[in-house]
Amino acid sequence: MLNLEQYELGNGLRVILNEDHSAPLVAVNLWYHVGSKNERPGRTGFAHLFEHMLFSGSEHVGNNEHFRYVQSVGGMLNGTTSFDRTNYFETLPSNYLALGLWLESDRMGFFLPALTQEKLDIQREVVKEERRQHYDNVPYGTSFERLLNLSYDPDFSYHWPTIGSMEDLEAASLDDIREFFGTWYRPDNCTLTLVGDFAPDEAKKLVEQYFGDIAPGGTFPEFDLQRRPQGAERREVFASPVQLPRLYRLYHLPKMGAPDWIYGDLLSTVLAADKASRLDRVLVHEKQIAQDVAAYILPTEASGILMMHATARDGVSIDTVEQAIDEEIARLISGGITDDELTRARNRAEIEHAHHLENYDERADIIGMFTTFFGDPEVVNTWLEPYANATAADLTRVAAEYLVPENRATSVFVPSN
Amino acid sequence: MTDRTQAPLPGPPRPYHFPHITRATLDNGLRVLVAQTHNAPLVSMRALVRSGADHDVAELAGLASLVADLLDEGAGSRDGIRLAEDIGLLGGALSTGADWDASYISVDILARYADKAVEIFSDIASRATLPEDALERVRTERLNDILQQRDEPAIIAAKRFSNLLYAPGPYSVPMGGTTDTVARISADAVRNFYGQHFIPNNTSVVVSGDIDPANAVKLVEDALGQWQRGNEPGRPKTSPRPIDSNRIYLIDRPTAVQSEIRIGHVGVPRSCEDYFPLSVMNALLGGIFNSRINLNLRERHGYTYGARSMFAYRRNAGPFVVAAPVRNEVTTESVQEVLSELRRIRTGDVEERELGDTKSYLMGVFPATVQAASDIASRLLDMELYGLPQDYFDHYRENIGAVTKEDVERVAAKYIDPERAVIVIVGNAKQVREPLGALGYPIEELDIDGNAIA
Repeated sequence: MLNLEQYELGNGLRVILNEDHSAPLVAVNLWYHVGSKNERPGRTGFAHLFEHMLFSGSEHVGNNEHFRYVQSVGGMLNGTTSFDRTNYFETLPSNYLALGLWLESDRMGFFLPALTQEKLDIQREVVKEERRQHYDNVPYGTSFERLLNLSYDPDFSYHWPTIGSMEDLEAASLDDIREFFGTWYRPDNCTLTLVGDFAPDEAKKLVEQYFGDIAPGGTFPEFDLQRRPQGAERREVFASPVQLPRLYRLYHLPKMGAPDWIYGDLLSTVLAADKASRLDRVLVHEKQIAQDVAAYILPTEASGILMMHATARDGVSIDTVEQAIDEEIARLISGGITDDELTRARNRAEIEHAHHLENYDERADIIGMFTTFFGDPEVVNTWLEPYANATAADLTRVAAEYLVPENRATSVFVPSN
Repeated sequence: MTDRTQAPLPGPPRPYHFPHITRATLDNGLRVLVAQTHNAPLVSMRALVRSGADHDVAELAGLASLVADLLDEGAGSRDGIRLAEDIGLLGGALSTGADWDASYISVDILARYADKAVEIFSDIASRATLPEDALERVRTERLNDILQQRDEPAIIAAKRFSNLLYAPGPYSVPMGGTTDTVARISADAVRNFYGQHFIPNNTSVVVSGDIDPANAVKLVEDALGQWQRGNEPGRPKTSPRPIDSNRIYLIDRPTAVQSEIRIGHVGVPRSCEDYFPLSVMNALLGGIFNSRINLNLRERHGYTYGARSMFAYRRNAGPFVVAAPVRNEVTTESVQEVLSELRRIRTGDVEERELGDTKSYLMGVFPATVQAASDIASRLLDMELYGLPQDYFDHYRENIGAVTKEDVERVAAKYIDPERAVIVIVGNAKQVREPLGALGYPIEELDIDGNAIA
């Protein structure tokens, strides 16, 4: 059990403290409840571009100085953007807690005065290179983007990936940045989590000192995040310079944390997590038709996602692979799963959760996630309960209900030459 | 009012101690290291066999890594599926692998099952069955891997770069082998490699996490005490190719929207006496985000998402390399900027502030990198693999702290040579060929297998 203390500042900033003196370190972690799902068509990639801008200095912190302040005292830091949130974090020697709070509060409250066109132009180029490196210049690089395009209607903002499109990145202006900052970057849209070697009274004083005078914002814009059922399977075949055909699937699930999402998580382990999982065993080991197969869920807030992909071996048709996957899903639905399979899946969830808590930085991050998505940091202490209570019948039912053609999108990459 | 104009001063530093290491050597020569921690109810177990792909003869490149892939395909009385099932029932994850210097078996397990996991772990180390049908399957998987790598620009660049730095032998051909060499590997070769190298006196076992050290040693002794000793294998040498002057090797990838750049030459072995000054110098040059090369290419010019330099420290001298993916249009400029950073650091132009920042980074960050049981295990493996002193991690920070400006300048001049470097570009030749000519270095065009294009 983690010992957590939570409270709120007058301006709405949620603060979670987890005191732990086993290492002379402190993790400072901020979850802003904004991500690519808060973008509009024509301005995709904006939340992530904005994350880059937030490392380029603020009123009292020079350009590139944020990284320097943290690294020069032996800290590690980064930020990431997803559909639902943007996180910023640093792990510091614990005697530098005040430095971390100073830096984070300066960019939360005093970012705009340091904003320049030149900084935007540089970071725009950096992000375009990030897109080239991870999407456009590598095999299957655009697979997730294609699958999202297929799975979600254009008015549902999971329709595009966080990286955004080149055209939209090109179009982003300083005014966009200012508006986005004003709308989303504010204490009442943020959870600050501190984990590690500090005295809570002292930490609270510092948090109040640095964050207490930052003003909250007005109302939040509305986003309609009710997904319409697909009705029928959505499919595409895409010819691309790859050596081996690969199949990608996205199955819709309820929101993260819902019972059926949890069962979907366990189910993904039963299907494909190690050599003994169903799809691995049949496709890779017995029939030897697939080079690899994977199934996993994503921690998404607005709508649940179970992903699957499989690569055909050289000389094997991707249809053969797809047929074998569907046969195994059908077999699972009709024959159920064994107690051993359930035990292994639960064990995996337990060990993954334990790994998340092992390092201060990851621990702070999942506490931030539980607070942001579920409004309650204590979920970190109860997270495994529904996993422990899941039955084989729960998993089979979820397979029968969700792993059906009308609830999925399938994108197939085939070699273009 | 809060004064925001100045960075707040730190409090007094809190002490840090690397976990205590319990050591034992069994009668058969197996070394055991245990570090106890209490962060999480987890235990990491590692077997380090001090032979890796450096033992592959050129015609059988890929052997060590294929043996590693076969380790979890059967051991003791269990077949591969059963191994995965039983480890899964204990709440664990099992993996095996090889690099240039060593072969590894890794088990991460819920602490309450550690005793049962030791049995499986030990079977894999000492009683792997290496079944022939699994060899054929794993071989086909490997050939498919190699096929897929033909589309991966970063992998193409790394393979060509290594091949240009070293003559046939270790570090030259990819660790995973080539289509030809992998096809040639026989079941006998696999069994011989396992028999020769997987012996207790060539192996260290590391256990870290939530486990009593005396108990851990006893568990390992009970499971592996009867393992038969063998002849300790020799240590293969590499053959670096001489480099007279800078030369560009261009590999065409017509669909490329970025150039994968690799610039460098042979570096130093892990045992290099200048390891600490080199660590500081490289971090300052291109080893961390706020290093010269990354700030130049990324933050000043916006050419790349990230550029890095590194020394690959291995038993023999591994490469020194600067790596950067950049958009096609700025390929030449990026090569130019990297070379000018390499030249600049050799001229003694090191500022006290950047040196101080870099040293404090390396010293300060160390505790944050050894929180998890698995991270502590990795450090103990390094100690065993490279014969580091028993108190190495107790003095690591002091050793970094002792590095001077003169040291950094001396090792930069000694170990970095921007006039005798291999420059590999995997990119859109049509677009980058002509601009690259402006650099004045000879350009050789290669196909992705390294054959010269006339």
